[in-house]
Amino acid sequence: MFLVRAILLPAMLLHAQTKTLRIAAAADLQPVLPSLIHNFEKSSGAKVEVSYASSATLATQILNGAPYDIFLAANLAFPQKIVAANLAEESAPIIYAHGSLVLWAHHGLFHHGLTMQSLTSPTVHRIAVANPVHAPYGAAAMAAIQSLGLKSALQPKLVFAENIAQAAQFGQSGNADCALISKTLAITKTMHQAGRFVAVPVGAYPPILQGGVVLRNAADKQTALDFLHYLQSPAGRNLLATGGLVPPAQ
Amino acid sequence: MDTVALLLTLRLALVTTVILLLIAVPLACWLAFTGSRAKVFVQAVCALPIVLPPTVLGFYLLVALGPRTAFGRALTHLLGHPLAFSFAGLVVGSVIYSLPFAVQPLVTGFAAVDRSMLDAATTLGSGRWDRIRRVVLPLSRGSLLTASVLSFAHTVGEFGVVLMIGGNLPGATRTLSIALYDQVQDFQYAQANRTALFLLAICLVALMLLYSLRPESRPRSSDLV
Repeated sequence: MFLVRAILLPAMLLHAQTKTLRIAAAADLQPVLPSLIHNFEKSSGAKVEVSYASSATLATQILNGAPYDIFLAANLAFPQKIVAANLAEESAPIIYAHGSLVLWAHHGLFHHGLTMQSLTSPTVHRIAVANPVHAPYGAAAMAAIQSLGLKSALQPKLVFAENIAQAAQFGQSGNADCALISKTLAITKTMHQAGRFVAVPVGAYPPILQGGVVLRNAADKQTALDFLHYLQSPAGRNLLATGGLVPPAQ
Repeated sequence: MDTVALLLTLRLALVTTVILLLIAVPLACWLAFTGSRAKVFVQAVCALPIVLPPTVLGFYLLVALGPRTAFGRALTHLLGHPLAFSFAGLVVGSVIYSLPFAVQPLVTGFAAVDRSMLDAATTLGSGRWDRIRRVVLPLSRGSLLTASVLSFAHTVGEFGVVLMIGGNLPGATRTLSIALYDQVQDFQYAQANRTALFLLAICLVALMLLYSLRPESRPRSSDLV
């Protein structure tokens, strides 16, 4: 009996906690959201739980009934699917940030002049990108490779990660020499210690517009809307910018 | 149906099964006949992949055997490429992941061999390996079949390790289970349905084959775990 209670009690406590906000967030937000959530929890009194995955993984989960309150994607297409399925509060996703794609390379590979063209060098064996089907940053990386005319040269070197955080991990662990990842991940301490990065030329890939929606079935709609407003507030915009995203023009 | 992924999956399962039998037969012989105190430890280590999350294995393969450790660098040098993102890497992962499914049926089978037969063979001057080759193995054909089929089917069903170390390369690391994952993520439910049904069929047929060829011995729970 004691054991049963010990196992069930945490679940019962969670139920009793009325204001728990569940966020489904794209993997590029993994280094950015914690500070935003910390501040939001302090000011609102709500408790926030986040699940990180590729935007497509989260969209599939939501379309199949996953109980999230907010969906923060790394593009507009996936939240638009949620809107189209009549599962969103909004009639269109809210753009909360613009993302930047960067080229990250292991320390010691290129001492100067790291560019996208460097990737054709024979010293680069493996380049990690996120799966373009699941992950908007992966799609942007493939678009950049294509538009810079590097596709045939780089194709044999590409390895595909399930999401952008895994692409960064492939690079950080040394299994890949370079990675095309989000700026949010490249500026983290871990990635900074293992390598360096340069921005991929902005014109080389379509803009990464990161959209979010509050879900129609949200348990606490008001808190969810409050969080989305907080992301757009001056304090929220500041933290997004510190994390490597560009808040949209007001 | 992604035929490249299908062929790769079958190739991976076949290579893994062959390597596993080569490793598992001597290992199971030792476990079945030893009186060593180390037996419990070795048994536990062999059974670990049943209970361990595949992510633990994926983590070690990626990080401990990756280019950041001395051992990983030596391995990379030996192979000419890191273990990750290669067919060889998947084979290493699969061999570890499916090890208990080969070892445990063999231990059960070997231990069930009538000891008086072994004693008779010894009396007739048969040496240790000779007894294994000419008495133990022929009397354990059923267990060898069980070990092969379970290793094969379990490798077909591998997902977590492949997702962590594979890199989704067509023809090298994109197995059917990964292809199915991609199809679901891409909202291609019709294609996903075909792949899922196919995987279901392979595994069902494998297990039916196993039970139909071994009618004499009712499936023992110890064969499956």
